[in-house]
Amino acid sequence: MISTDTTSAVRVGGLTVRHRRTVALDGVDLDFRPGVHGLLGPNGAGKTSLIRVLATVARADGGRVELLGHDLSGHRELAAARRRLGYLPQDFGYYPGFTVREFVAYVAWLKEMPGARAGAAVERAVARVGLADRIDAKVKTLSGGMVRRVGIAQAIVNDPAVLLLDEPTAGLDPEQRVEFRSLLRELGSQATVIVSTHLVEDVAAACTEVTLIESGRVAYRGTPASLAELGAQADGAGIGGNSIERGYTIALRAHRAGTASTAGVRR
Amino acid sequence: MSRRIPAYAPAYGYALYARSRALPLTVATLLGTALLAAVCAHHLNAYLDPYQRVPFVALAPMLAASAIGTSLHQHSPELDRTAVRPAWPRRLAHLLALTALAAVTLALAVPGHVETFGALAMVRNLLGAVGIAAASAAAIGARLSWLPTVTYLSAVYLASGAASGRAATVWAWAMQPGPEPAAWAPAAGVFVTGAVLHAVHGARAENQRA
Repeated sequence: MISTDTTSAVRVGGLTVRHRRTVALDGVDLDFRPGVHGLLGPNGAGKTSLIRVLATVARADGGRVELLGHDLSGHRELAAARRRLGYLPQDFGYYPGFTVREFVAYVAWLKEMPGARAGAAVERAVARVGLADRIDAKVKTLSGGMVRRVGIAQAIVNDPAVLLLDEPTAGLDPEQRVEFRSLLRELGSQATVIVSTHLVEDVAAACTEVTLIESGRVAYRGTPASLAELGAQADGAGIGGNSIERGYTIALRAHRAGTASTAGVRR
Repeated sequence: MSRRIPAYAPAYGYALYARSRALPLTVATLLGTALLAAVCAHHLNAYLDPYQRVPFVALAPMLAASAIGTSLHQHSPELDRTAVRPAWPRRLAHLLALTALAAVTLALAVPGHVETFGALAMVRNLLGAVGIAAASAAAIGARLSWLPTVTYLSAVYLASGAASGRAATVWAWAMQPGPEPAAWAPAAGVFVTGAVLHAVHGARAENQRA
């Protein structure tokens, strides 16, 4: 069921996604309000599938998706949602001959930003990721971390109301990560930012809420503080790592145990 | 309320779109192919014997279609899918514009002999070859779309000498005289199928997650 909370920018109900015979998302119900939301989970848990459906690049096999009040059923609704959406895929690719400015402008064009606004918006987005001095460099000449920042710049060029970032900190060095988390907090003050990550440090430093996904289902929802609290309860239980990592492990194991016992009852 | 989509996308992006699809290089390749066809036609004295035109009336469209098929590659399909405007008109316009340019230039490269191996045969073969390339781009990706085109047309070129009959007119459409309706039907059918497949699905993403 989709929640009736009208302040949520993103709502999904009974969301099911299949890849051939594998169920990537199994009837997921979620809603996200403005703020920075961390999506955590093991590899193959369904994080990328969720992000891709929310980014409108993949179709759900079942359930309902609502973005910024648009239910995405018609083309006009889809277009209106896409105008206010920012998306950084894991592998975003880039056109080899483009400079940073041209690549970000190309995405601004895809978002139908008027020419009069696009030039300034491109420069602002590139400056926000700390690449103002490389704006006219070819993307192919940049380092991996810089290319990732170009990806973040294209995702924020239209000042999105919903920003979806799939592994945004992969390839960033520690200093860049710290700066990026600061940018995330700034973006989350106005927009709904959903970040898929493997790094609990990202969650601890930048997220206001955490959603843990395991085997296509929601295993845990809370805040970084509540996850840390869960981890603190496990002190002395032989689980290594910091309190959030321990909380992550405990929540994941509890979900698996619950799923296994439910399956046992079904049998 | 959702905003209406304006009739035209902002103008500044079209040049970026053209460069992102390597359209300047593709146009240069198409013009070069037509020039090569014209030079061959002249040097082989093909204006005297139209059957000497058969190799380049069959093979020049293959080269042009390979260039057009490769230009359908998207470096960033995942971001392109988030475009506000529906992609199919842009994809169709891209394919039709390049096909029209190739058709005009290749037709001009082989003047005369319309009843045998002239402009009509060249345009028909181009349509068929582009259709195979566009369908291949949708099925296996644009970068390899030249492979089925080259394989099929080369095989037809090599095998058609020994083939005859109504069926051969259909499968060896690329080797038939220009006005032959039974050769136009499969070529036009392949073109329409390829154009629709590409417009609806786009080129298959390569090295991307499903």
